[in-house]
Amino acid sequence: MRVVIVYKWARDPGAASVHTDGSVDWRGAKMAAGEDDPAALAAARQVASGPDDELIGLTLGSGDASWALARGVQTAYSVADAPPLADNAATAAVIAAAVRRIGDVDVVVLGDPKQDPGVAPAVAGHLGWPALVAVTSATSEDGQVLATRRSARGSQTVRLATPAVLGVAAEADVDRVPGMKELLAARKRPVTSLTLAELGVPVADVESRGSELPPATTARVFEGPPDEVAAQLVAAFRAEGVL
Amino acid sequence: MNEEREPGTGGAMGEVWVVVADEAWQAVLGVARRAGGAVTAAVVGSQQLAESVAAAGVPVVWVEPARDTPAEAYAAGLAAQVAASHPALLVGGGDPAARTLLGAAATAAGARLVPGVLEVTGGAPWTVRRAVLGGEVIETLAAPGPLAVIVASDEADEPEAVSGGPGTVTKAAPVPAVMVVAGTEPAPAASGVVDARVVVAFGRGVRARADVALVERLAQALGAEVGCSMPIADDLGWLDKARYVGRSGQHISPRLYLAVGISGAPQHLEGVRGAKVVAAINNDPKARIFRRADYGAVGDLYEVVPALIAALQQ
Repeated sequence: MRVVIVYKWARDPGAASVHTDGSVDWRGAKMAAGEDDPAALAAARQVASGPDDELIGLTLGSGDASWALARGVQTAYSVADAPPLADNAATAAVIAAAVRRIGDVDVVVLGDPKQDPGVAPAVAGHLGWPALVAVTSATSEDGQVLATRRSARGSQTVRLATPAVLGVAAEADVDRVPGMKELLAARKRPVTSLTLAELGVPVADVESRGSELPPATTARVFEGPPDEVAAQLVAAFRAEGVL
Repeated sequence: MNEEREPGTGGAMGEVWVVVADEAWQAVLGVARRAGGAVTAAVVGSQQLAESVAAAGVPVVWVEPARDTPAEAYAAGLAAQVAASHPALLVGGGDPAARTLLGAAATAAGARLVPGVLEVTGGAPWTVRRAVLGGEVIETLAAPGPLAVIVASDEADEPEAVSGGPGTVTKAAPVPAVMVVAGTEPAPAASGVVDARVVVAFGRGVRARADVALVERLAQALGAEVGCSMPIADDLGWLDKARYVGRSGQHISPRLYLAVGISGAPQHLEGVRGAKVVAAINNDPKARIFRRADYGAVGDLYEVVPALIAALQQ
């Protein structure tokens, strides 16, 4: 089974600062490991855990590709000139083109984040493969993928034939930070750089006409001596009628 | 809302499709209707689901999944059918199956795909208002057609008014991808947190298992049930898994949700979207929980919680 893990394909929303006029300043932020990337990588490693399996990394943008290489991935591809895009189908088109270039891929695994929920489904659409998103864990068996989704309604495991796309959603904020040895080893692993021109993907995006702040809903925050803070909280709860 | 449209644009704008795979279709249909044009629904699900969408006055193309086959298996087949009508606008919800169907249809139609959408107006080029950065900012976009949008899941799910008589239901039977439900596990027996009026939940800010008693005393003083963040139940096993609140845990709607020593990861906050009042105690004034909270107390929970218990008992 040849598995591609797509990581660092969007900017970290935490890197954006919002001005008081509602405009957003990304301050040149590069693509960063998303909050679902560690869970996606964990699932990809499980799917590609057999002796003949292969796990290949794919990242977008000019950032450091070693995030996955320091976490057990042996080789990686990077589409260095891929820009961050608001259009999830356009981001997916770049990923799908790179997957085709990598070739003979059985499973594509990527994070399924709240802010870009259309990317994983659209990667599948561009490739013409079936997809399952909101996956919480996955494994493989007899050349097929077993993907599990856990929710408040219970858990469901779906068996799907390959090729397939899995969008993985993290259940919690966890990442295993690699050690120095792994970081040094990662630097020696090969990274193949691709360009949009090589992939033949024209990049066009929807056009932003600006942004504004929504009606304010900021928290009333109490600070000070614990007794005073506690009294203020209780008064607030009583005023809201929630006690 | 339709009368607000400029005369003459309706016929030129092409077809508007809504893609439905679950019960959360009212907000989706609302966004589609307010965009103008004739709306058709592609529904993958039960006959009851197809008929309820049709009852809102929309013609429905209905796919009934085979037994143990997820709705997602029909994504490519349905996409081909939708794309053949050269849609101008595709609207879907944020739930997993609906998104997967929409992603397939959008790419088949050569459409752009924008998430977090609150409103679409104008006809191609469309004007799109969407929530970005977790709703911190509302952005306006201009998008040429065809366009597909994922409606923001926080949108109010108001029932859509019926326009005209019920729509027709036409059955379609695309060939599914090879995909089968291999096993299901029921959710753990519902715990008291689901129906409680007040829930006190704690996270990793509580340092030791013995300190859970402190949170339990606070819950007692508030008449509350005790919940927790995922790592407390899953990694540490300090509380039953049925008590953890979050994306893959319980989704609760108490009148008061008090988060103690919880940083407020987005996965956790998804579980308390329905709470009326959210309050938080955290020693980090920059904790993400304060962005969602109505009331916050910055301080050491080991000092604030005993003080709060005392204040409640006065």
